[in-house]
Amino acid sequence: MSHEKEQKNISHEEAQKTQNEVPTGKPSKSTITDEELAEAMRQEREELEKTWARPTGVWGWFTDTDHKAIAKRYIVTAFVFFLLGGLEAALMRIQLAFPENHFLNPDRYNQVFTVHGTTMMFLFAVPIMTAMGIYFVPLMIGARDVAFPRLNVYGYFVYLIGGLLLYTGFFLNTGPDAGWFAYVPLSGPAYSPGKRVDIWAQMITFTEISALVGAVIVIGTAFKMRAPGMSLNRIPLFVWAQIVTAFMIIFAMPAVMLASSFLASDRLLDTHFFNPAEGGDAILYQHLFWFFGHPEVYIIFIPALGFISPIIITFARRKIFGYVPLVLSLISTGFIGFGLWVHHMFATPIPQMGQSFFTAASMMIAIPSGVQIFCWIATLWGSKLNIKTPLLFVLGFFAIFVLGGLTGLMLASVPLDLQIHDTFFVVAHLHYVLIGGSVFPLFGAFYYWFPKWTGRMLSERAGHLNFWLMFIGFNLVFFPMHQLGLNGMPRRVYTYLPETGWGTLNLIASIGAFVLASGVLVFIVNAVWALRAGVIAGDNPWGADSLEWSIPSPPPNYNFHNIPVVQGRYPIWQATTDAPIVRGLNTKKRETLVTSVMDAQPELRFDIPGPSIWPLMVALATAVTFIAGIFTPWAFLVGAILAGITLTCWFFADPNYENKHARETGEKSEKVAPRAELQPKEV
Amino acid sequence: MSTRSVIDISGLPHHEFDTYDPVWWGNNLLLAIETSMFAILIATYFYLRQNFALWPPPVAQLTATLDPLPQLTYGTLNTLLLVLSCGPMILTDKAARQGNRGVCQIGLVICVLCGLGAVVLRGFEFSAVYFRWDSNAYGSVVWFMLGMHMLHLLVLTTESVLLAIWIFTREFDMKHRVDIVTVAVYWYWVTAIWVLLYAIIYFVPRLG
Amino acid sequence: MIETTRTIPRLISTLIAALCFASCFSSCGGIQNSINPAGPNAENISRLWWLMFIVCSIVFVFVMIALLLALRKRTTEAADRVPMLEPSEESERRRRNVVISFTTITVIVLFVFLIASYSSGRSLRLNDPTKNGLSIELTGHQWWWEVRYQDVDASNIFTTANEIHIPVGVPVMFSLRGADVIHSFWVPNLAGKKDLIPGKISTIWLQADKPGVYRGQCAEYCGLQHAKMALWVVAEPQEQFNAWRQNQTQQAMAAASDTQKRGQQIFFSTTCVMCHAINGTPAGSNIGPNLTHVGSRQMIGAATLVNTRDHLAQWIRDSQTFKPGNRMPQNNLSDADLQALVEYLQSLK
Repeated sequence: MSHEKEQKNISHEEAQKTQNEVPTGKPSKSTITDEELAEAMRQEREELEKTWARPTGVWGWFTDTDHKAIAKRYIVTAFVFFLLGGLEAALMRIQLAFPENHFLNPDRYNQVFTVHGTTMMFLFAVPIMTAMGIYFVPLMIGARDVAFPRLNVYGYFVYLIGGLLLYTGFFLNTGPDAGWFAYVPLSGPAYSPGKRVDIWAQMITFTEISALVGAVIVIGTAFKMRAPGMSLNRIPLFVWAQIVTAFMIIFAMPAVMLASSFLASDRLLDTHFFNPAEGGDAILYQHLFWFFGHPEVYIIFIPALGFISPIIITFARRKIFGYVPLVLSLISTGFIGFGLWVHHMFATPIPQMGQSFFTAASMMIAIPSGVQIFCWIATLWGSKLNIKTPLLFVLGFFAIFVLGGLTGLMLASVPLDLQIHDTFFVVAHLHYVLIGGSVFPLFGAFYYWFPKWTGRMLSERAGHLNFWLMFIGFNLVFFPMHQLGLNGMPRRVYTYLPETGWGTLNLIASIGAFVLASGVLVFIVNAVWALRAGVIAGDNPWGADSLEWSIPSPPPNYNFHNIPVVQGRYPIWQATTDAPIVRGLNTKKRETLVTSVMDAQPELRFDIPGPSIWPLMVALATAVTFIAGIFTPWAFLVGAILAGITLTCWFFADPNYENKHARETGEKSEKVAPRAELQPKEV
Repeated sequence: MSTRSVIDISGLPHHEFDTYDPVWWGNNLLLAIETSMFAILIATYFYLRQNFALWPPPVAQLTATLDPLPQLTYGTLNTLLLVLSCGPMILTDKAARQGNRGVCQIGLVICVLCGLGAVVLRGFEFSAVYFRWDSNAYGSVVWFMLGMHMLHLLVLTTESVLLAIWIFTREFDMKHRVDIVTVAVYWYWVTAIWVLLYAIIYFVPRLG
Repeated sequence: MIETTRTIPRLISTLIAALCFASCFSSCGGIQNSINPAGPNAENISRLWWLMFIVCSIVFVFVMIALLLALRKRTTEAADRVPMLEPSEESERRRRNVVISFTTITVIVLFVFLIASYSSGRSLRLNDPTKNGLSIELTGHQWWWEVRYQDVDASNIFTTANEIHIPVGVPVMFSLRGADVIHSFWVPNLAGKKDLIPGKISTIWLQADKPGVYRGQCAEYCGLQHAKMALWVVAEPQEQFNAWRQNQTQQAMAAASDTQKRGQQIFFSTTCVMCHAINGTPAGSNIGPNLTHVGSRQMIGAATLVNTRDHLAQWIRDSQTFKPGNRMPQNNLSDADLQALVEYLQSLK
């Protein structure tokens, strides 16, 4: 099918098409000699570089659509928020180190713990996990970019604006102070006057838009853009984890979108969703919030499970034991994750019968988690292990997460929960599962993939130091908190009386916080040092199996010179010299191969849109709408008009249209040289 | 000299209807998000319903004739209009698949007019609800449902207008034919959601 | 090639040390401690806790040992070893069996927990405390507790604040309501917690089997002074309780001395009267705690300060230094006036 035909009206053959027909163009088979291949690739390389060139400078910062660049920004931004959140945690630990301490006043403390929770959940954990997916899903499945690169840019800017909004408020002493869960009526118009909670509610809007956009991109990419041969049963476990997470985001986030919209409209437009005097309901908010809030935990945790499998495979140098049970565990965790939300509400007056159901569901989720742990141990068992820093963090994950999972069972039991709910026991539990379950694997992932991002290795020696400081520091902070909770210390208190006897354990926890922080500091120093002086990594420093290691470090803008053909679950390890190669993508315009969902059969040469300023403009229109909306409802009208205008521009600044010139010139060369496939390297 | 077998994909098309195209997936995933949003919104409606003995709550008035039930006229008209508008949309959908530009143009114009009509009728629907959004929780949730759906009507109509402009002024290329088919899916979805909301907003109060 | 590194044993020993460290703390007492139960309700839950704690500890140690054993073989070889893609049928089968049996054990443990949890929950509910027990209506305010003793005999109904007296061995039914935002009533030595939600009424019962003073604290974040919204439960023998109740149902003592009279006058001429009630006088506002028998209470400021003359005086003058943000304004009284007011309030036994 030629482009010229496309541009005019309709080609004859297309006019014949009916709804059910498959694409007329079919992939054809032929052969090429190695010399021809090398020659063709040499010719194309320059063209590819030019076609996929990224805009530079400030303009580039605003318009670049490269998924790797966007993901790196996401990761760096989220990491900065992680440090800010950590700083807030340190402030809280200083305040709580001694009874009746006056380091922070209650107003400040309440802002600090609210912003800490909000930052860690919405600005750090979810975005950084999405970002890892945005970076690695295309690389692991052999695609040149994500499915909707401009939407991706929009998602990032919206997230950045949300984060800046929260911190601007916080630094102006207008940080939200109703907790990261913002229960009504405390967060409602009567008990939280001022703009603090409005800022929280709108920040939620921004981050949820960003997460939803990320989820659509990840699913679209993972379903449609896999390299030929990567059928469903060969998708890397990392990508499976990202797919499950994305689906969870799609079904969970709308609940918090409604919760925060209802809250904002109660506050700004005088509606009565949560006002008991006018038939509203405070518990409704809790249902909405936790229907999102519990899956949220898995949204943070499941991608981390996706980091663990590749690290274990690589350092055990063995196929994973139980690929199918692992995938099924991820999927069932995704489903069960929606059946647990009420276990956050056992202390509210809700029917007892329902509570028993939620206890059973909450305990049931231990089964897929157990299966995964057992499969990983079975993979490690008997393998000759190369204990590098990434694996060390994964081992740390086992120790911490298993403990956190077990305390989770305690919280699932209604009677026991009534004692330990909303105490420091829960603080301990949630940090064991979230730091143990997510942050430790994430740091492992940093050490593992840093060479891919930067081309340089992080120091192993510093890595070990980093791990031990974090591991010991972590347990020192959070283990005593179990005891504090049992001893009756409630959460979210800015101080406590000396008579309570909580001083010693709190002091231990506060000391631990600084050990933990020093571990993170070691990481930063290590990363900064490695960027300048780290050992050059090469394509595949760990001898790993998945496709991202088959291309240079850092990857070229177009990722894969040619789309690889996948032979098994471990593409690099299973690559054979006589494997077929894919050729025929246009080098003069941004194209990637689209394949079928189940079997990854080639279907389309999909156009990938290039750089554009409009995603940023739409993000700004979104920002105007919601930020000005805090002050006047008219902002929604103005914002809608602005969004309409910018979206129209986005639509008309169509990638095909912009690329028209390139397309016309590309038309000639399109049929000339057969394009070749870069075979995954032998290791 | 060693040779390698080659899968030559240079003959593959750039766009194709339905599940072939990532755009179809993107659109349907967004609709999945919105569907779960409406599902939770409807759950909210019934949750709040529990807090009221009478739904909508009775109004203490001197004139005994007052009836706080939402009036059926505009809502019913709107339902009819939206259901009927699926007719031209189905034709447009088919024409886009067959590459019939003329039918697409006419169909889209009719659909855009229907969309605008629905938005205007929605304006009257708000007034047909006895309570304002700030009267009580009933008013809040009904206005919110009407409003969220109106937002979709606006987006849908705008999208149709843009597509219409494109195929009137620019090329009728495969990409935009795929877009038309995608908008058609959105159109059916908006109609289906509305039929559900219509049944709930107007008839749940009448069931008592 | 295969070397035994010390990292993993270290990892495990750290954890075991931490666990021991924890268990030696677990047995300590305390008047706000959920595993130091003083009533059937908390007793029941604490039994469940010990069951789960012990089983979970065993599971944890077991998994860690399995992990440790899985790490026996090490290598520092470069990354170019041939990966093991086709392990022997035999070894895969063994792994499968082990994973299946571990999963089965997990399911069994979960069932044990589920049944234990359910039966524990049942016995929390089975007891019907409405029969011959005491009934108390508890209202949470930002940031104090309003306590109203109910009785079929209207003359036995009275209101107090932040200090609940209960007779030992008698089940007490609480009906809970939130006046402004959500609070949560929690006396760990006696029972689990229950939320006080505006627009809803929830109930919880508790019973003390040992006489003593138990501290409770708001467990749901309720704003600025969530940390200092505590209360005391005083469990005493029935006769002592009856005497206390008898006293509480009385109207406030009349001001006897001149100082007390002056104090009363100050109470009525300053902002005090706008928020606080003293039964038997014209003061009837319900915004702050009822002060009819304030002199008999052990603590002030929602169990923040011991009820001494000095504390009371400091509290009246500037409660904001002790509990910043609470709803009580500063009072710039002269020293003499303040002393008179304190004298009067202290006399309200």
